[in-house]
Amino acid sequence: MRQVIRKKHAGTGHDTGSSPVTTRRSSLLPGSLAVSCVAVLCVVALSGCAARAITISASYPTPLVAKLPLTVGVYYPEALREFSYTEIDDSSGKDQYIIASGASQIALFNTILPVMFDEVIELDGPSTDNPQVDAIFVPDVEEFQLGLPQKTKLSVFEIWLKYNMRLTQPNGDYIADWVMTAYGKAPTATFQSVDIGVQNAAEVAMRDVAASFTLGFTEVPDIKDWLQKNGPTP
Amino acid sequence: MIRHEQVSGISTDKHESCNLLSRSGRSLQKLLPALTLAFALSACTTTEIDEFRQTATSISGDESIVILGRRQNNDYETEGNFIECVGSVVGSGDDGITVVPEKDFLNAMFPFFEPRTAPMRTGHLKQLMDIDIARQRIADFGIEYIVWVDGTTLRGETAGSVSCTIGPGGGGCFGFGTWVDDSNFDAEIWDMDTLDLAGSISTDANGQSYMPAVVVPIPLIARVEANACSGLGSQLKNFINGS
Repeated sequence: MRQVIRKKHAGTGHDTGSSPVTTRRSSLLPGSLAVSCVAVLCVVALSGCAARAITISASYPTPLVAKLPLTVGVYYPEALREFSYTEIDDSSGKDQYIIASGASQIALFNTILPVMFDEVIELDGPSTDNPQVDAIFVPDVEEFQLGLPQKTKLSVFEIWLKYNMRLTQPNGDYIADWVMTAYGKAPTATFQSVDIGVQNAAEVAMRDVAASFTLGFTEVPDIKDWLQKNGPTP
Repeated sequence: MIRHEQVSGISTDKHESCNLLSRSGRSLQKLLPALTLAFALSACTTTEIDEFRQTATSISGDESIVILGRRQNNDYETEGNFIECVGSVVGSGDDGITVVPEKDFLNAMFPFFEPRTAPMRTGHLKQLMDIDIARQRIADFGIEYIVWVDGTTLRGETAGSVSCTIGPGGGGCFGFGTWVDDSNFDAEIWDMDTLDLAGSISTDANGQSYMPAVVVPIPLIARVEANACSGLGSQLKNFINGS
């Protein structure tokens, strides 16, 4: 049995050509030293006001499930690829944390789908002309919530996710559309940064998604019906 | 002080330990001997262990156990560090038992032992063992017992304050703080041969810590969770070895 995930079309790489850079030598004379100090202080002061960016990165284990003899196309919408959540500071009303989890979500599905299905083909668009696949799967995040210990007064970081999962025929006809929720929490620890707490909670939440998805996929009523009527049985 | 009682399958151990000869205590003795004695005598931990045995247990050299933390509760979760600590106690010594690391087991058994999908009762374990791929993976590990640990350490009765000042001529702290830590952990031992409960062990450890500060803050910490870990680990090892 194959565990293949391949792209239908080659991706378009971004040209990272070098941009001209101007450099200037400067000597730190007393006058310029003062200017430099002021500039450094301004940068430090302003960095205290900026929202903290947290990029979720985690590795996921291979699920222990029986493989379905299906070729599934998967399309990751732009909204999922670029998904990020912004936590607002209650007191200032400004952005406090920006949590980017798109890449991690793609990595998660790229780990579990090839184990669940005979073959997985990544599609570049929500095309309705894919005769080589048995079904097209489109995951998307609908909601993301973050619980920080300083706000919830609990000694855990919490992340709650709500997904919309869609499975269609190769021609785009409906097979199933279902909602999945996931929850993850991680305990606080002395001297632990918010970044680490959020990362740990996100990893648990993502594993929860994977667990629910892999164990519950064939239990979704519409998918169950479709498999019984049209699809092969595991 | 150790008290041991045993009544028809249920036994209770009570153990009191103090940090009288801790490193911080010795430092304090050099500075303030009287204060050291007074506080060190008080910075004690009381650990009480209750054991309930349902069936006889034993384990051979090629068999192993796994210790897992329960993580279904809303407001706390059993810490991985505590599970590691208990595992290291169970695995140490001449009568040590092979313990499969929790993370390795969870990853290998994914997605069957995640917080949402883990078996909560032995009935669920029987259902899980009906799945060939899961049963085979457990057999590959040679796991004879699964131990579920559930609990946390709570801090309360916090009182006092310590304030510190730094000036051109130096700095220092003055004040007094105290708090009580209370560790409660329950362990359930599931027998993978009978797919039933073999027994359970509960550990309750508590102790009061002090932080006097006269120029330098001197923590007199009651090692509550560490004592809960060593108490639970030792009892668990004896339980599984059948001793």
